[in-house]
Amino acid sequence: MFLINCPFCGEREQSEFKAGGEAHIIRPKQPTELSDDEWAEYLFMRKNIKGVQFERWNHAHGCRKWFNVVRDTSNDEIKAVYKMGEKPPTI
Amino acid sequence: MLNYTPALLKETLIQDLQIKEISPIMKLIVRGKKREFISAVGKSLNILLPTEANTSTQSDKLTALWLSPDEWIIFSNDTMNKDLNDYETEKLLQNNISKINLGAVTDVTDQFVMINLKGNKIYDLFQSGSPYNFNNFQNKKGAVTQTILGKIDIIVHNQDKNTVNLFVRRSFSQHLFSWMNDAASRL
Repeated sequence: MFLINCPFCGEREQSEFKAGGEAHIIRPKQPTELSDDEWAEYLFMRKNIKGVQFERWNHAHGCRKWFNVVRDTSNDEIKAVYKMGEKPPTI
Repeated sequence: MLNYTPALLKETLIQDLQIKEISPIMKLIVRGKKREFISAVGKSLNILLPTEANTSTQSDKLTALWLSPDEWIIFSNDTMNKDLNDYETEKLLQNNISKINLGAVTDVTDQFVMINLKGNKIYDLFQSGSPYNFNNFQNKKGAVTQTILGKIDIIVHNQDKNTVNLFVRRSFSQHLFSWMNDAASRL
């Protein structure tokens, strides 16, 4: 369990949030031109690293807004929180 | 047709903590992003929507609670007439907001149940089933938060010292009510 600083509501407990997986995955512009392998790569393959990871989170039981979190998956330390559409910080 | 039957059939008083449903109360959810939307709501209802997170504003007839940067709940301070099914407030907003595509107005009178809690053990009760830290909340009149209580989504509004309004979805209200009574009996 850890606290997440929602960029809209302030600091809240993790149980109010839903994790939304890896952030900054760009949808291919022409999905019809991709092979099945390339499409599967976009759709399913995630880095799932041990260390600093950029993730999307949703404040599901609060303001219901999506935002980005930079989290160290090995110790759940949150390095940064930033809104959707903002540039990811360099860490 | 709106359902004006109260969701909770009784009110309880446990250890100085009074829990009762206030019904019927008009509740509207308004959503909009533009600045003109906020000023149009302000002009129509004579109430300024709070733009600061976790706060509320009040006029003599209405209270507006901040839910999200583009979402507010507006409710009437007094109970409504049980025989009537339309509200002047909603009509005004529909004409000044919905019809010109400034934002959305939704009647959630039926959807939410407003439970009023009074007493000095409110926050002890909340503590037993909510992950939210109410320390700052309880000293700040007009504070608003959306959180979880007994695994149920709630909206809490600090109306006054030791008086709290709690909004819960109707289908969860009876369970939450019995949960609160059970938790209060062991405070």
